[in-house]
Amino acid sequence: MRHWLLHPRLTLLVRLTLGLTFLLAALPKLGDPPGLAKTIWAYQLVPAFVLNPMALVLPWLELLCGVALLAGTWVRAAALWVGALLLAFSLALAVNLAQQRPIDCGCFGAAGPRTEAERLADMRWVLLRDLGLLLLVAQVLAATAPRKP
Amino acid sequence: MRPPWHSTTLRILTLGGTALLAALIANRLAAPARRLAWRTALPLSPAPAKPPGELERRAPTLPKVPPSAPEPHPQGARPAAAAPATNPAAPPVPEQTRTTSAPITEISSQEAWQAFQAGLPFLDARRSGEFTEGHLPGAWNTPVWEADLDDRLLDFKAQRRPAAGDAIVIYCSGGDCRDSQLLAEKLLAQGYFHLLIYREGYPDWVSRNHPVEKGAR
Repeated sequence: MRHWLLHPRLTLLVRLTLGLTFLLAALPKLGDPPGLAKTIWAYQLVPAFVLNPMALVLPWLELLCGVALLAGTWVRAAALWVGALLLAFSLALAVNLAQQRPIDCGCFGAAGPRTEAERLADMRWVLLRDLGLLLLVAQVLAATAPRKP
Repeated sequence: MRPPWHSTTLRILTLGGTALLAALIANRLAAPARRLAWRTALPLSPAPAKPPGELERRAPTLPKVPPSAPEPHPQGARPAAAAPATNPAAPPVPEQTRTTSAPITEISSQEAWQAFQAGLPFLDARRSGEFTEGHLPGAWNTPVWEADLDDRLLDFKAQRRPAAGDAIVIYCSGGDCRDSQLLAEKLLAQGYFHLLIYREGYPDWVSRNHPVEKGAR
């Protein structure tokens, strides 16, 4: 079982999936930091002084990690970043979901106008997707773990 | 030999540092509508601003317009009742008005229409791209989330010269849009105390067949 889970081909597939996801998530956000700041503010979890720096740096971090995962360089460092980001995103979504506060995920840029029920339903799916992506990160981390001497 | 965690930590920090550097350069090169100030100039409270609908709903003090003003009306230019573009000698609001009305008040579609006919200034708090696609005729483009908001507000004040007590109508895209509220709080902090939020906003204006204008300002 362990042999299959850490198979190099599976690791490659997982790495490419994660890399592509983060690359695609970064591109629309890179072009519109004000929109991202507005989206992050809607989560009501980030203090005001962190909001704008976060909206400016986050897309670049996603882009760099995505490229690193696709290129196969610095995979472990990029996977650790991606894991930390996914954990933060999931937590932010979970908190808002628990409070039944419908927000736009903003994961792949700004979304069009939707009803509150649609947003809440979306948030559940996004939370599930993020948890799935976290499993992929765990696979990459396990496969790239430094071997004990 | 260095421990394996050493290089990973270094790489994590390098990735973060490179992202920061890239953001600094990209934001400097970005067009104003895509630029974001590193320090927010908005009064962003940690708790959400009052959700739409929970604002003060006292009767706003709108200038009187002729009761015969038709609504709806054909698409066209601003009605003749509208005031001129500049209003330099706007008298201050009487003391009595100040005490009976909250500084930030919500107004209905009907009241927004009356305010439009009375020639009150309208500030559009949405993104500049949305403004270009369509806005209330004569509205000022003051996108709260964009880096040049302060310049745009200065421009508005220089041209329109509103007194602290003059009514200013603010709108965004309706629904749960809180941009109008943010802009109102910013203007309140700057001393303006007769701010009217047209909560239903632009979609409502369009749905009522009121005149709209396209293009940047």
